[in-house]
Amino acid sequence: MTSPPAFEPTLTPYGDSALMIAATDPDPAGRRRTMGAARRAVETRRPHGVVDLVAGLESLLVEFDPLEVSTEALATLLRLTLDAHQPDAGPDATAPTHFTIPVLFDDAVAPDLAEVAAEQGLDQATLVERFASFSLSISLLAAAMAPMMDGAAFDTPVSRCTLPRTDVAAGSIMVAGANAIIQPFPGPTGWKVIGRTPLRICDIARTPPTSYRPGDTVRFVPIDAPEYDRLAGRFLTADTPVADAAEGAGAP
Amino acid sequence: MIRTVALHVSEAGWLSTYQDLGRTGAEALGVPCGGAADQHSAAVANILVGNARNATLLEILGGTFAFTPDADVLVAVTGTETTLTVDGLPTPLWEPVVVPAGSRVRLGPATGGLRSYLAIGGELAAPRFLGSAAPDARMRFPQLIARGDTLGVHSGPVPATHPDFGVPLYRFPVPRLPLPEGTWTLDLVEGPETAAVPGIRELLATSTYTVGPQSDRVGLRLDGPVLHPQGLGEIVSHGVPVGALEIPHSDELIILGRYRTLTAGYPIVAFVTTACQDLLGQAGPGRTIGFRWVDEAAAVRGLRESRQRLDFLEARVKSAYAACGTSP
Repeated sequence: MTSPPAFEPTLTPYGDSALMIAATDPDPAGRRRTMGAARRAVETRRPHGVVDLVAGLESLLVEFDPLEVSTEALATLLRLTLDAHQPDAGPDATAPTHFTIPVLFDDAVAPDLAEVAAEQGLDQATLVERFASFSLSISLLAAAMAPMMDGAAFDTPVSRCTLPRTDVAAGSIMVAGANAIIQPFPGPTGWKVIGRTPLRICDIARTPPTSYRPGDTVRFVPIDAPEYDRLAGRFLTADTPVADAAEGAGAP
Repeated sequence: MIRTVALHVSEAGWLSTYQDLGRTGAEALGVPCGGAADQHSAAVANILVGNARNATLLEILGGTFAFTPDADVLVAVTGTETTLTVDGLPTPLWEPVVVPAGSRVRLGPATGGLRSYLAIGGELAAPRFLGSAAPDARMRFPQLIARGDTLGVHSGPVPATHPDFGVPLYRFPVPRLPLPEGTWTLDLVEGPETAAVPGIRELLATSTYTVGPQSDRVGLRLDGPVLHPQGLGEIVSHGVPVGALEIPHSDELIILGRYRTLTAGYPIVAFVTTACQDLLGQAGPGRTIGFRWVDEAAAVRGLRESRQRLDFLEARVKSAYAACGTSP
């Protein structure tokens, strides 16, 4: 469906047990598209000796066992893998799952909401309306399985906090640049917190612990405090309208 | 004949957890591999009791640890230098030890290194997450062992000891992790930003660094001379392997461990070779570290030799226990 990227990714050894694949497209959107395709290709083909993968926004770290495959042999295999897959590995290669995530946008749970609105030159209500109109795409799973999303298309990129916060609650919706992320567990962040979902997005007692994967799409819907309380602690499941969230909550 | 043995923990050390060699396939999901900080010692402990090398065992950091089993069990303790006693009798590390029912096994404080690995023959019952018993504190999977806990082991028969003296009947080719006194030397291969920091090769090769008190399983922080890169633009966050040697904005070095945050944007001036990473798990605050540059071929050769020693040990242990009819 999409034409092959014009810019070949580079492969660089990262120590004795890893290779870094980095996109070289001149524009960030192109780099992300190239790496999305590269990640899907390498995940699908899993050349012999590959132990694990770490996705960056514009790169992919391929970790391998150097006693199973040499750096040179793996680099050659990876180049072939990327070439072979590029024509059909565009963003539409796998059907994404859609998620609708309820969010309470309130100063009580969103310490940076006012600041982000001011930075965008909008009042809070308009900012929330704007954010809820975005269709975001999960580009990778970041620390602790946090969904890292592209597509927060504000007029100006959202700046980071000057001082990182040390303890941000689970479920916090955070933005930086044109990205958004949801905090799966309480912890530190330098991103701006603009809302909180009552849903639990990651539960280590479940298999798999999350219902989303890279490539899936996300839309946020504003809810009020009583609705937040009603949904609190339920597990996020795919394409679940807010009113029906209860059905999905008990699923294994 | 599998039985369940209960181990009663009477002293739990400072930080004792269930552990194994870590997760595979989890880093693509944003979960670090984790696992034993000293993989070699963990693998040897498991092999010595006849377990698979990635079986669940205990990682013990600091303080004293003691337990009493309610039936005979086979144990092995590896890792740091320490004192091991069974009912008060000094007992060797890095060897399989038969512990009779009701005997108290006690591990003293670490000397030289940092962490002990205690393997028990059989299957240690422990919660698992993404296929592994390795803790992940960030994801609220602490796997902590507390004083008063009872651990369960599903275990087969225990290999024989000498009936009168209890001495071990086997002499295995055990590859101990050398933990010399004084400065430890770690092998380095080049990193993507080595060239962006002129003079860093010579500086690392000729300086001595001290492990700082802020070090943890996320990374070792080293005090010593550093140089900062010139003219590097902002680095977009990317995946970083275990062993990456980063220069943050402050005047220190960080060597990333198995619980690192998976992506970062600090300049990487070198990588500690995989074969040398076990030492990172034994380097406590105050330990002095030096570096030696090697090429990739030498790094892989070191790893191959280390793996072959494990394979050899495993083959010998398996045949010995099979001959006794006690292989688990």
